[in-house]
This record gives sequence, structure tokens and C-alpha cells, in this order.
Amino acid sequence: MRKTFVAAVAALAMTAGPAGAQEKVVKIGVPLPLTGAEAKFGEMEKQAYEMAAEEINAKGGVKGHKLSFDIQDSGGKAETATAIVEKFVSINKYPFVVGEYSSQCSYSVAAVAEKYKVPYLVVTGAADKITQQGWKYVFRLNPPSSLYNLGVFSFFETVAKPKSIAILYENTDFGNSTSKAMKEYCKAKGINIVLDEGYQAGAVDFKPILQKVKSLRPDIVYMVSYLMDASLLMRQSKELDINPQAFIGGGAGHTLPEFLQNAAEASEYCMSATLWTPQVKYPGAKEFFDKFKAKFGKEPDYHGVEAYAAAYVTADTLKRAKEWTAEAIRTALAATNMMTAFGPIKFIAWDQFTNQNRMETLVLQVQKKKYETIWPKDAASAKYVYPVPRWRDRK
Amino acid sequence: MTPQLAGQIELFLQVVIAGILLGGLYSLIGLGMSLIMGVMRIINLAHGELMMVAMYITYLAFSLVHVDPYVSLFIVLPALFLIGAGLQKYLITPVMDVESVLPQNQVLLTVGIGIVLSNLAQLIFSADYMSVPVSYASKTIYWDVNVGGQTISLSFNFPFLVAFAIAIGLGAALFLFLGKTDIGRMIRATAQDKRAAAIMGINTKRITYITFGLGAALVGAAGTLLAPVYYIYPAIGGPFTSKAFIITVLGGMGNIAGAVLGGLVLGLGESLGSVYISLGYKDAFGFVIFVLVLIFLPKGLLGKSSV
Repeated sequence: MRKTFVAAVAALAMTAGPAGAQEKVVKIGVPLPLTGAEAKFGEMEKQAYEMAAEEINAKGGVKGHKLSFDIQDSGGKAETATAIVEKFVSINKYPFVVGEYSSQCSYSVAAVAEKYKVPYLVVTGAADKITQQGWKYVFRLNPPSSLYNLGVFSFFETVAKPKSIAILYENTDFGNSTSKAMKEYCKAKGINIVLDEGYQAGAVDFKPILQKVKSLRPDIVYMVSYLMDASLLMRQSKELDINPQAFIGGGAGHTLPEFLQNAAEASEYCMSATLWTPQVKYPGAKEFFDKFKAKFGKEPDYHGVEAYAAAYVTADTLKRAKEWTAEAIRTALAATNMMTAFGPIKFIAWDQFTNQNRMETLVLQVQKKKYETIWPKDAASAKYVYPVPRWRDRK
Repeated sequence: MTPQLAGQIELFLQVVIAGILLGGLYSLIGLGMSLIMGVMRIINLAHGELMMVAMYITYLAFSLVHVDPYVSLFIVLPALFLIGAGLQKYLITPVMDVESVLPQNQVLLTVGIGIVLSNLAQLIFSADYMSVPVSYASKTIYWDVNVGGQTISLSFNFPFLVAFAIAIGLGAALFLFLGKTDIGRMIRATAQDKRAAAIMGINTKRITYITFGLGAALVGAAGTLLAPVYYIYPAIGGPFTSKAFIITVLGGMGNIAGAVLGGLVLGLGESLGSVYISLGYKDAFGFVIFVLVLIFLPKGLLGKSSV
């Protein structure tokens, strides 16, 4: 009995030993919310990172090394994310940090990365301030939230020409930053802001405030919501029979596949700013969408493709870096100029932004229970419906 | 009466209606915690997670065998009763019996139970948001009232109305149960004086199992009633645990009638505050009321514990 045990251990050691020595791995630290209220996004991004790493490794990896993402759960809490990154830098000695989800966490991680002089690629955190600090080691793949609305603004100017607007937003870095851009735009263009309310995420009942929206009769109801608040807002708007010319979301919650299921018929004709749809004409966009859907049995939204693109930017940076030190990787990252499934990635500085990628943003609309890109016109997959029909006139 | 004034009145009445309907649900959430608090003198910090378990049971019953959420109450209530009684018997009672450095370690235990439950849920159901898409989720009953020549249209959301009615029904049933039945009297006796109750021949341990089971079943019912109008995810419990805690303290720790009142006050406070002050501080209103009550009525709205 004992002999077989010893033999088994020896056999194990034999197989594990040489393989471990042969296979060189380069590890990159990724904090993500895998538990807590944002876990759904963390999970989607984790799957996208791992899918991209598989593809990259199947094509030979990076300079003979296997690319591996060390994904650690931050629970969506800034202090945990910070602790994870401190560990990445001082114990694991990773020369490069990528990821996180919310603006709040990304901002905290960015501050730590800057302190330790380790390059950090922000993937989804959108609050403007993250790349407005003049930080040298912080780069951002996604556009800042003030640009999320660019597509919506051009839609306003060309088609909608609204006179009044009600703005509801979640009280977070992302909600504040996105709605602020909308408010500044409306003030500049003379659009009357009849209501401007921040709300606490996760409320059960939005009807009191929606009732107020109804009594103000705005042309546009604009909402910035994460998570499921988007579905509840739309469901309860339908219930209260609120009939503006259009409901427009500021991204995030209104672009999730779950929004269509949960809001069901209340999601119909709802518009939203978005960064990406599978209908964009970037190489690999549709392939990514189809492959992800086939592999994990659910549709990715723009958060998934951002993570996927971030993995490719990481691989590209590591390939170009002269050596794998924080300093050399930073230099290589700054020189990034590549096309991804998410769009072209290049880090530039303008206004107060530094190391910031800039890209076009789109507007989508739910039509027949599907997301269609409706603006800008050259990227549109369907014609917009505006003004949207009144709830009781539908069907 | 001018249309503007009528509009203001409509808004106010609608907000009050929304607050009372929501308050009914909150009462149900608070009742369970208050009951457990009254008898065992512990705050059950896994309360929201028990609600989450009930919501997933409702979800499974609906998506697998198409059981209507209201019908699934007949599954959820006994299931949660057994889970609650089991938790008390096999986890909390053994810890209560041990003398330890920390006097309140059973409270810490409930925190642990909550973490285990929400992580189990994530393991089984993943972190996805799920909902119970019943056909009547946004069904609304309209009621037109004529006030001074102006028509005011008030709307009542059907699932909220049903939830309110069932919450009131369950609350009344609990009162009758505690007041009229032998087990109810034993529960009250145990709450008043555990040692004396034991001397009178009451199996106080068994009473604690029943009480915890009842508390879990009540919050389970709230979860099931909430499922059609809200959504479900593994970490949903936390915010509701803190709501239950506010309600329990508002009503006077362990006071059943107080919990009902506390729930209504919290629901009304949240909806009125979110319209007339600011929606962003919705959760803060609960805590402001909470602090005010603690300062001016330290024993809660209805005073001392009287399960």
C-alpha cells in the first residue's frame, strides 16, 4: 500500500516538475468584482479576459511566454481593490495591472498604481476624473463618461431637438460624471432641465419620483443607471403611463442583455448611449460576440468587449516592451496604436485628459426586443423611431 | 380648484399610497427580525439573506414548474420555517450555550451564516440578475377621484397591492397566533422571562427553534412577494437586513405591533423624502428617522418589548 503511494507521489512529481520548468508564464494582475452587487459585470469581464488569453496563447503567447491573468475578487469595494493591487505590486511583483469595473474602484486603484509607479490600464471605469489627474502611469481604454453622450448629442441636434429634459442618475462617480456632461450640454444649448435628481442604487420603488417626472411633462427622460435600476425605472414609467418623446439611458444598465428580459415590453423603444454594439464595423467585433455567446451561453455587452480588447492591448504591449519592467511596459503602453474588436486604441492627451483613448460613441434603441444601432447614421443597423409611441397606443 | 393644485394633490396622494404599500412589505421584513429579537435577544444579521433564499426558491418554482409566486408562498413558508428552525437548532443554540469572551458571538454567527448563504447562491445561480417575469408585474389599477371639479387619477400597482394585503394578513395571523394559541403563549412567556418559562415546564429550546423558524418564514414571505416587482441576485440580502434592523429598532426592540408601525413609517418616510427632499438621500431618511427615534424615544415608537 505504502509503496504504491510513494510511486504515485513520484509519478506526480515527474509529470509536474518538467512541465512547470518548460512552460514560462507571464502573469498580469487584474482586480475585478466577482462577488457583491457588481459581480455580474466582473464575471462577464473575467470570461472575456480568459477567452482572449486562450486565443493569444493558442497563437504562441507572448514572446514564448504563456499569458495569464491573475484575477482577484475585489467585491466591488474600493478598499479591497486597493489592497489587492498593493499585493500585486509588492508581493507578486507584477509589472502591469489591468482592470477593475466601477469608476470608484478604478480611481482608487489608479492612485495606488501611480504611487508605486506601475502602469495601470483602466478598462471600464468611466468617471472623467480618473484620467484628469495628470497621472503618468494611468491609461484608459474606454472613453471617459463625458464622451458617452456624444452620439446622443448629435442625435439631439439632428433629429430630436428637445426643449425640456428630466435627468435621473445614480449617485455614484459614474452617474455623477455622465449626468454632469448632459447637464452642461443642456445648459449650453438652452434645453430646459425640469428635474435633476440623483438616486441611491437598488431602490425598490421609483414611483414617487417618476410621478414627479410625469407631472413635469419633459420631452426627454434621461437616466444614468447601473444594474437593474434601469429595468425598474422603465417598468414603473410604463405603469405610470409617462409619455415623453423618448427615454434615453446613459449606458451601463440600459445596454445589458438582461435589460431586455427584465423590462420586457417596457424596454421597447428605449434608447441609450453606448460604446459598442455587435453591429459596429471593427474587425473581430461580431466574431467576439458570436464566440462569447456560443461559449458561455449569454450575450456580452460593451463591458465584455472592453475586457477582451484590454487583453489584446496587454499582449501587444508586452510584445513591444523591451523588457518586462514597469518602466519599459509604461513606455510601450504609451506608444500603443492598434485596432481591436472594441475599436481603435491610442492613448492621447486633450483638454485635461492624459493617456486617454478617444472614440466615437453610438446610440442604440430597443426595437422588437432587440438592440439596434440607430446613430450615427453610417453605423446604424435600423432606422430610429422618434418620437416614440405613447404606451397606450402600442400593439 | 386650479389644475396645478390638483396636480400637486395627485402627486402627494400618489406618493403616500406608494409609501404605504411599500411600508406593508417593509413591515413583513421587520416583523420576523423583531420576533427573533424579542424572544432570543439577538439581532439576526442573516435576515436579508434568508429573504434572498426565499426569492431564489420562488424563482426556481416559477422558472422550472411555472408556479405562480403567490402560490409558491405555500412552498416558501414551510421551507423557510424549516431552514430557520434548523439554523437555530444546529448552529445558533450550540453557540449560545457556550460561555465565550465575546458576549454577542451569536450575532457574529448570523453574519457568517449570511455570508455563506449569499456565496452559496452565487455558486449555484451565478451572479446574474434574475427576475420572475409574471404577466401582471406592471398591472395597475386606476382610480379616478373628482376633487373640486378636477379629476385626480390615482394608480395602485397590482403586485404591491397584493403584497400589502398578504402582509397585513400574515401580520394579523401572527397576532392571533401569539395571542390565542398555546405555542403563541409559550413564545410570549419565553420572551418575557426565559428562566421562569422553563420553570413552568416550557421547553424553551424548542420555542426558540419555532420562533426562529417563524421569523425566517415571515421574511421569506416578504421575499416571495417582492420577487415579481423587484429582481434577484446573490448579494441582495445586505440592504434588506439593514432595513429590517432600522424597523426593529424603530418599533421598539422586539415589539411586534411596533415593527408593523416601523415598516409603515420607513416606507412613508422614504417615498415622501425622495419626492419632497431628494431621492439621493432615500436611504439616509431611514437612518435619520432611526437616529431621531433613538434620541427622543429610546425605547422605540411603541415602547418596550411585548411579543
